[in-house]
Amino acid sequence: MADPTHSDPKLISREKRKTVGDITVDNPRMTCRNVNVYYGEKQAIRNVSLDIARNEVIAMIGPSGCGKSTFIRCLNRMNDTIESCRVEGEIIIDDVNIYGRDIDVVPLRAQVGMVFQKPNPFPKSIYENVAYGPKIHGLSQSRAELDEIVETSLKKAGLWEEVKDQLEHPGTGLSGGQQQRLCIARTIAVSPEVILMDEPCSALDPIATARIEDLIDELREQYSIVIVTHSMQQASRVSQRTAYFHLGDLIEVGKTTDIFTRPKHQLTEDYITGRFG
Amino acid sequence: MFKKTILLAAALGLIFALGAGNAQAARDYISIVGSSTVYPFATVVAEQFGKTTSYKTPKIESTGSGGGLKLFCAGVGVEHPDITNASRAIKSSEKEMCVKNGVKEIVEVKIGYDGIVMANSKKSAPLKLTRRDIFLALAKEVPDPKGGEKLVANPYKTWKDVNPSLPNVKIEVLGPPPTSGTRDAFAELAMEAGAKTFDWIKAMKKTDKKAYKAVCHTVREDGAYIEAGENDNLIVQKLEANPDAFGIFGFSFLDQNTDKIQGSYIEGVQPTFDGIAAGDYPVSRPLFFYVKKAHVDVIPGMKEYLKEFTSEKAWGPDGYLSEKGMIPMPDAERKQYHNAVENLTPLMMK
Amino acid sequence: MGLAAILASLAFLSLLFISIIGKGYTAFWQTYVRLDVHLSADQLDRTELETADYPGIVKKTLRSMFPEVKSRGDKRKLYALISSGAAFQIREMVLEDPDLVGKTVSVWVPADDDVDMLVKGHIERDVPEEARRLTDKQLAWVDALTGEGRVEKRFNRTLFTHGDSREPELAGIWGATVGSFLTLAITLLLSFPIGVASAVYLEEFAPKNRWTDLIEVNINNLAAVPSIVFGLLGLAVFLNFFGLPRSAPVVGGLVLTLMTLPTIIIASRAALLAVPPSIREAALGVGASKMQTVFHHVLPLALPGMLTGTIIGMARALGETAPLLMIGMVAFIVDIPGGFTDPSTALPVQIYLWADSPEKAFVERTSAATLVLLAFLIVMNALAVVLRRRFERRW
Ligand SMILES: Nc1ncnc2c1ncn2[C@@H]1O[C@H](COP(=O)(O)OP(=O)(O)OP(=O)(O)O)[C@@H](O)[C@H]1O
Ligand SMILES: [Mg+2]
Repeated sequence: MADPTHSDPKLISREKRKTVGDITVDNPRMTCRNVNVYYGEKQAIRNVSLDIARNEVIAMIGPSGCGKSTFIRCLNRMNDTIESCRVEGEIIIDDVNIYGRDIDVVPLRAQVGMVFQKPNPFPKSIYENVAYGPKIHGLSQSRAELDEIVETSLKKAGLWEEVKDQLEHPGTGLSGGQQQRLCIARTIAVSPEVILMDEPCSALDPIATARIEDLIDELREQYSIVIVTHSMQQASRVSQRTAYFHLGDLIEVGKTTDIFTRPKHQLTEDYITGRFG
Repeated sequence: MFKKTILLAAALGLIFALGAGNAQAARDYISIVGSSTVYPFATVVAEQFGKTTSYKTPKIESTGSGGGLKLFCAGVGVEHPDITNASRAIKSSEKEMCVKNGVKEIVEVKIGYDGIVMANSKKSAPLKLTRRDIFLALAKEVPDPKGGEKLVANPYKTWKDVNPSLPNVKIEVLGPPPTSGTRDAFAELAMEAGAKTFDWIKAMKKTDKKAYKAVCHTVREDGAYIEAGENDNLIVQKLEANPDAFGIFGFSFLDQNTDKIQGSYIEGVQPTFDGIAAGDYPVSRPLFFYVKKAHVDVIPGMKEYLKEFTSEKAWGPDGYLSEKGMIPMPDAERKQYHNAVENLTPLMMK
Repeated sequence: MGLAAILASLAFLSLLFISIIGKGYTAFWQTYVRLDVHLSADQLDRTELETADYPGIVKKTLRSMFPEVKSRGDKRKLYALISSGAAFQIREMVLEDPDLVGKTVSVWVPADDDVDMLVKGHIERDVPEEARRLTDKQLAWVDALTGEGRVEKRFNRTLFTHGDSREPELAGIWGATVGSFLTLAITLLLSFPIGVASAVYLEEFAPKNRWTDLIEVNINNLAAVPSIVFGLLGLAVFLNFFGLPRSAPVVGGLVLTLMTLPTIIIASRAALLAVPPSIREAALGVGASKMQTVFHHVLPLALPGMLTGTIIGMARALGETAPLLMIGMVAFIVDIPGGFTDPSTALPVQIYLWADSPEKAFVERTSAATLVLLAFLIVMNALAVVLRRRFERRW
């Protein structure tokens, strides 16, 4: 197996690649153990173990290309859509390994929802956008029930007041920030337990970003949230724990306040003080 | 994926259902194929037949003589044509094919003649040609003008080069492509006949038949002969635009455009209705159709169609076919073929 | 530069149109002659109206109009002024209303194509007699009829209601139009679902391996195969192997299906590929299965592109003659096809056949038929644009 760090100038020894900090938590929602991800011959995630706690926001930070997206896409098997991608190790939710045999990804993806970097509402009405998930999963018995799911989801996503009079308008007609909240509502509508967010605010302006951040904070009461972000401020504002990735390795994980004030690992310190990345 | 398989199955099912359903069903109309030269005449008869009888109008495909005979000889049964038109007589190889496929009895019907003309715009004077002139003007290789029994690449540029009595005009002839029956007939009736006037070429026929044919039938490719496609109307239009050019096509196109174009004299005879009918105009060929005897009693209307075609009001000197430009046969010949049709006298197949 | 190119191509296009319209518009009118036909009871036996001598009635009428014509040759020339369709027209009239027998009726019957050409100015009067298709006498008769107000140009309904004929004045494109319609109906019915299904399978579900690569290369090659090859294939498979009837729209439809399938598959795959991946991710992200993702989200978005590809494929199929030649659809067919297995031709075939007819009157009819074909093509392409507009969604 080719080792991408081999010719890297900032070569890290095997010793130094061991994760610093406590990867475990008391109340895990998901448990990842020895996860390795390969794109063909190339390894993108190397031996990562990490717990994701209930009712917490965990932020994934690290330089571009370090494998943050790759890692969170493992959590709902979104990587399956990439043909060359291969995942090893265990990711357990409700005592089941999601990479085990005979696992149906459909309920898994309902259980572990995802919000993408660029808002991507369906080219359908706002109502349809939110109702689609519940419909295909058979979550409602009647139109009234469906209406209610749509309303509560939009309310939770903080979008209801703005769109309640135009539910039949196309979702693509909303502003970028509204679209992203619509996508969050769409994710919430299928009652997930974990929400994965891959740089959800990178396409938004500061005001829209602030709204989403507030929303994430509120959602924490019901869901576990994994958020990938390039903004250290954002990570420190919304998350309770932070994980720092570097070239496919999970370098350090710990309480967000600790990571940003007293990083234990040299690489983490270099990154958060802006020395590289 | 499922959708696809289902659709494919449905499509195949449809084909099978239709195929099975139709193979057995009888045909209630006459199916005719064959020569595009006979097509304009056969269609007139078919239309007349369809309008004046209770039978359906026959279907006539324009496939060319060879293509028609191939379809015709493919077998007996409703899926095969009943009649094929031809602008030449059936070849012995085609007879063999017929017999091999069970088509044992066919009736040959000669219907009349078609003249092939070389025409130009009325804006110029008509040419007075011999077949020898035509051969010298159009063949790829001609006898060395300096004398001797030797072939050289055609050196003639103008008609005057070919024959001093002809005008000093560039040779420019628009004609059909090699796939056309008109071209075959023209090569045989005009060019080969012209080539034969050279004794030593005529002698070649006995010694080396292949080379003889090649000499007689190969048309020059240096631009003097222009292949103008199968569409004779197009040639007529081009002649109008270019008074120096000549065109080769069937008599019926000359007949319909006498206001714009004129036929060249060949061996002193102009291609007129009477000239061709009297047999004086040398470049004319017989037209035929062939009937599958086994079908006559099976396909409704066959006998009546044959009767219509061989009636005086159709193929007679004053018949409607002559109005369309077909040259009728002499009385005796008409009588002979009329009897052949009446008795359905089959052709000798050996 | 680009603008100049577009302008140039528009100029050529309009030149083409002007030339075709210029040649063809006269075919939409046809010269008719008014005859006062006496339907005498002697000639029309009420019990045998079907088989009465209607041409004889027309001839008698003409003789009575020009009593000075005596010689046999002159009579023939006189009869030649009126289309042979006149007799059939009177026959139909009498059969419809047998009470007309014994009366004199005034009917407009089509003139012969030569007279039609003369009235339309396509036959020059000032050339010598033998260089004309109409003799001096015939010209005089036509002038006499015109003087009496018995000659009129009327809208040529025959052109749009009749099948083929060897008499230009009786020939129409309706048979060919119906043939084209039946053929294209089969083509559309088969090629659209099969094409879309193949495209969806290849683009969304097929594993990427050597087999699918091979199929892909082959489809792309098929799109470039000359259309006559599909005719040969149709001849071998549908006629010789499956025993389907010759000259039938169903076979034409099958052959054209083979021809248009590659076009539709390629266009449909392009349309699928153009659907942004973010839509697929969104659907998968809320737990839609692959099937649901494709059929609920990707396919509806790709459909306008697929429809456009299909209509363009259909338009191409509408203009084809070469493959139809091999399966016997290039034929003289008078009767209007009534079903998918009746013998029939298609519009471009009709144009091809007329273009090769010696009669001068077919020249303008050829252009007129071309105009109709062009009109169909324009309508189809406009439909493609409209459909795309209607279904297009921005995302
Ligand atoms: N589809 C793919 N095929 C092959 N290699 C990939 C693919 N996607 C990502 N990679 C590689 O895997 C590594 C990790 O990529 P990933 O997208 O997870 O990084 P990231 O941390 O999310 O970066 P960014 O912050 O820029 O989004 C990179 O080296 C990338 O080149
Ligand atoms: Mg990323």
